[in-house]
Amino acid sequence: MNLDGKYGLPSRETLEGYRIWDSYFTPSHGHPGADGSSRLIADIERSMHAIKLGCFEKLCYFAHVGLGTTSDADFESLVQAKPETVSIPLERWPDLLIGMIQLNANDVPASLDALDRWLRDGPMRGVYFAGGGPGALTCADTNFYPLVERIAELGGVIMQHTWFKTGGKQGPGESTPSELAELAARFPEQKFLCAHAGGEWEKGIRAVRDSPNILVETSGFDATAGFVEMAVRELGPERVVFGSHLPSRSLGTELSKVTAAEIPEAAKKIILGGNYRLLLGEE
Amino acid sequence: MKRRQLLKAAAAVSAISVKASGEPSPLEIIDSNVSLFRWPFRRLPLDETKTLVAKMRTLEIGSAMAGSFEGIFHRDLSAVNERLAKECSRFPELHPIGSVNPIASGWEGDFSECVEKHRMSGIRLHPGYHGYELDNPNFAKLIVMAAEAGVVIQLACALEDTRTQNDIVSVPDVDISALPDTGACRVQLLNWRPRGSVPSGVYLDTARIDGTDGIASLLATVSPGRILFGTHAPFLIPEAALIRAVHENQLEEGPLRQILAGNVNRLFGQ
Repeated sequence: MNLDGKYGLPSRETLEGYRIWDSYFTPSHGHPGADGSSRLIADIERSMHAIKLGCFEKLCYFAHVGLGTTSDADFESLVQAKPETVSIPLERWPDLLIGMIQLNANDVPASLDALDRWLRDGPMRGVYFAGGGPGALTCADTNFYPLVERIAELGGVIMQHTWFKTGGKQGPGESTPSELAELAARFPEQKFLCAHAGGEWEKGIRAVRDSPNILVETSGFDATAGFVEMAVRELGPERVVFGSHLPSRSLGTELSKVTAAEIPEAAKKIILGGNYRLLLGEE
Repeated sequence: MKRRQLLKAAAAVSAISVKASGEPSPLEIIDSNVSLFRWPFRRLPLDETKTLVAKMRTLEIGSAMAGSFEGIFHRDLSAVNERLAKECSRFPELHPIGSVNPIASGWEGDFSECVEKHRMSGIRLHPGYHGYELDNPNFAKLIVMAAEAGVVIQLACALEDTRTQNDIVSVPDVDISALPDTGACRVQLLNWRPRGSVPSGVYLDTARIDGTDGIASLLATVSPGRILFGTHAPFLIPEAALIRAVHENQLEEGPLRQILAGNVNRLFGQ
C-alpha cells in the first residue's frame, strides 16, 4: 500500500525539502544506562523508524557528562573516570547526531570546566539546562551568569527547559519562560532556546514575546491546535525551532504541530531546520 | 441516511474496491473522538464544523463520532444535544454523541432524548468536569440504562493535560480504577493515557496514546479489538493521531484496519 503523502504525513519529497534538524531529541533523557550508553543507544534505535519516516537530517541530544545531573553516583563516577563513554552515540551515528551537554548550574566551577572540555575542545555544540533532577536550578539564579558568559564566548547554543505548570512548579529547580526572559535580558547578544515554549504555550509565548533573543522550541506537550500559528503570529517564524522529543513523544505529535499548522510553507521550512542551523552557525 | 446505513455503505464501498482493482483497498478511517462547537478556553483552527469536516475529507477520514464541547459546562444539556443533532444533520460524516450528566437533575430525560429522539448510538460523559466519581450510584444506573438501550458510553478521562489547564478550572484525570463492572454496556475511554492496567472489557481511543511506539506497546497487553482510532480534534491536531496510527507504529494491516474503522463499526453498529 502506497502511503506516501497520505494520512497526515507529508510526502517524502516534501519532508526532504524541509531539511529537518531536530533540536530536542530525548533518548533516555534522564539516564543513559549504568554502563554510560546502553539505554541511550537502545532509545536511539527505538526512534530510528520515526527518524527515517520524518526524513530527519540531524538530531540533537543532551548528554550527561558527570556533573551530577543524575542521582546515580555510580554512573557519575563512571563518566568522570571514562569520559569517552559520553561520545559513543556520536561515534556510532556521526552524520546524524549533534550533542550538547547537560550542565549543572548548582556547580559552577565544574560546569565551567566541562564547557572547556566539551564545547571548546569539542565535539559538543551547546548546553542544556534541565527542569528537574539534581542538576536543576531556576535560570533566574545568579549562578547562570558566569556560565552564560562562557557559553557565549564559545559560541554555544543554550537550551533551557521551561514550563508554566497549572498549580505551580513541580520542583524548586524548574524554570519558567518569564525567568528565562529575565536571564536573556542580561545577555542580549546570546540566543536562548525556550524549550517546550513553556508547555502552556499561550502564557509561554507571551512571556518571551518582548525578548528578541529567545526562540521557542516546539516539543514536549500534546499536539494542541493553534500553537505554532500563535507562535508565528506573535514571534515571527524565525523565532520558532522544531523539536521532536522522540521517543517518549511521537513523530505524529511533534511533527504535525508544524506541518499541519496554517502557516506558509516557507515558515515551516525555517522552523523545521533553518532557524536551528543558523543558531549552530551551519547556515 | 441513518448512521448504521452509512457505516454499512462505507464497508460495501471498501469491499467493492478490493474486487475491482485486485489491490488492497484504501484505508477506511472512522474517528471515534471529535467534538463540535467552541472549546471554552481558546479558539481552535478547526472549531467551525465545516472546517473540521473539510479537514477530515483531506485526511480521508470517512466519518466521526461527534460530541459537543458545550456538554462540558452547559447545564441545559437538552438544548446542547439538540444543537449537536441539528449540526450533525448537515454533514453526513458526523454522527452525534450526546452529553449526559448523571448527577444533574433531569438526566434521565436527557438520556432518553439522546436515544429515542435523536437516535444517537452513543453518549459522552465528562465525570471530571461534571464532578462525580465512577463509584457514583447514578453512574451505575446509567450503565444499566445504556446497556438496555444498546448505546455506547464514551467516558472522557480527560480533555486537557492537567499541567496546562486554566488555574481556576483545574480538573484531574478521571480515576478509572473506580470503574464498576460494566456488564453488557459498551464503554469507551476517551483521551486515556496508558498508565497501569486497562479495566477489563472497556475500549480505548488513540488520541493521547503518545510515544513513537505507544500503540504498538499497548498491543502487548491489550487486544487490537479494544482500541479505536480517535483524534480529540479539534482540540488536538488530527494529523497527530493519524500519523501515529497509520505510519509510525508499524502496525500489521489487520490490526491497523481494526483500529482505524473495524472496531468502531463493530462497537457502534451493533
